[in-house]
Amino acid sequence: MSPQDARLAPAPRPQRAWLARATLGLYPPAWRARYGGEVSALIDQAGGGPRTVLSLAGHALPAWVWPPRQLHDQPARMRSSLSTLLLAGGVLTGLGLVFAQLTQFQGYWVPGHPVVGVAYRVFDVALAASVLIAGAGALPLWLVMLRRAVREHRARALAWLLLPVVVPVAFVLLLVAAGTLAGGTDGVGTWWFLALTVSGFAAAAVSAFGPGLALRSLRPRGPALRLATIAACLAAATLVAATAASAVAVIGLHAWPFVATLPTPYFRTAQNGNFIRSFVYVRGFPGHFSGSITAAYLVAVTGTAITAIVSAARGARAALTTAASS
Amino acid sequence: MAERLDRWADPPLLVLASLAEGPKHGYAITQDVDATMGVRLSAGTLYAVIARLESRGLIEPLESEDRRRPYQITAAGAHALEREADRMSKVALVASSRLTAQGWAGA
Repeated sequence: MSPQDARLAPAPRPQRAWLARATLGLYPPAWRARYGGEVSALIDQAGGGPRTVLSLAGHALPAWVWPPRQLHDQPARMRSSLSTLLLAGGVLTGLGLVFAQLTQFQGYWVPGHPVVGVAYRVFDVALAASVLIAGAGALPLWLVMLRRAVREHRARALAWLLLPVVVPVAFVLLLVAAGTLAGGTDGVGTWWFLALTVSGFAAAAVSAFGPGLALRSLRPRGPALRLATIAACLAAATLVAATAASAVAVIGLHAWPFVATLPTPYFRTAQNGNFIRSFVYVRGFPGHFSGSITAAYLVAVTGTAITAIVSAARGARAALTTAASS
Repeated sequence: MAERLDRWADPPLLVLASLAEGPKHGYAITQDVDATMGVRLSAGTLYAVIARLESRGLIEPLESEDRRRPYQITAAGAHALEREADRMSKVALVASSRLTAQGWAGA
């Protein structure tokens, strides 16, 4: 049969075409918009058996990681990466703070194993560096969008942009109130700690969603967007380093017998009556004895870190490509 | 049973060779490659290849009235295919002559 005949050939009976078409959902939206109709037509003609399903599924991940050049919308890619990294960064920072409060703030260390102590220091430095890099890099873009939202009287975009300022302040006020009501010199109880932690993650999520929605609405372009993307990628890299250090410490605390040294600088501060520090302690909760808590923490940080790495790589490539072509 | 080497076939080359005959849409490419070169291209492989060839400017899409968009080979694609065909011809020539010399031909 010649190719011309193939155009006119009767279509074979589709088999499991719905599954093959559903597999297209694994592809990036831009890929689906460009090739989805053609692939569906091919499935209608050639059938959608297991080989087709496996083949489509197998090529979905490369389509995300190495999208074809003709589908590149670099500013959109950078905005998308920024939104993802904001969310992933918020989750990783939140998990990191929970880790810090349940381990080093309570003075847990492992005699004879300096690894945990080194991991604490790496975590502290990397987390601080990550926050500073992300903040410094995002500030110009935030100001550009803020100015535009004000100039164009876009109240909703303005509200989204102010969320990462308003919500953390509200959360700190909540912490102060909770510390005053329920905290003693040696910290709060387990349930208070859990409630504050969940509130913290909710606050981080809302703070991250705000700028993400503003990015979708205002669609900024230009050097400020590029700078913010590159800074977010560097921040993600340092945050992943902090996460890796926390994972090492968590595994070390779980694997080796550890002790709590009460007279740590943190604890001394708490005992001196500084409730800003004391109310975030949870009294006597060595969660690292629990294999399920350790496993849940490791799964959460690993999954979020992988998301951040993939998104950062795609954003960085878009930013560098744009910089090279401008 | 003789070992088949077509699993090592280069799908971009097969698609370019198919389009060298004239513009075709996805289904026509798979039918042509299967009929003339004995290789069955799956949907995922075919469109991964089409996307790559298009991004490198070796093929280009044509206007389509329905969902089946045809593609045609570009001048750059034809040049790349010609170079690869030359190289493969040399490989084929060397392989055939050495098989004949060693008495393997037709074995």
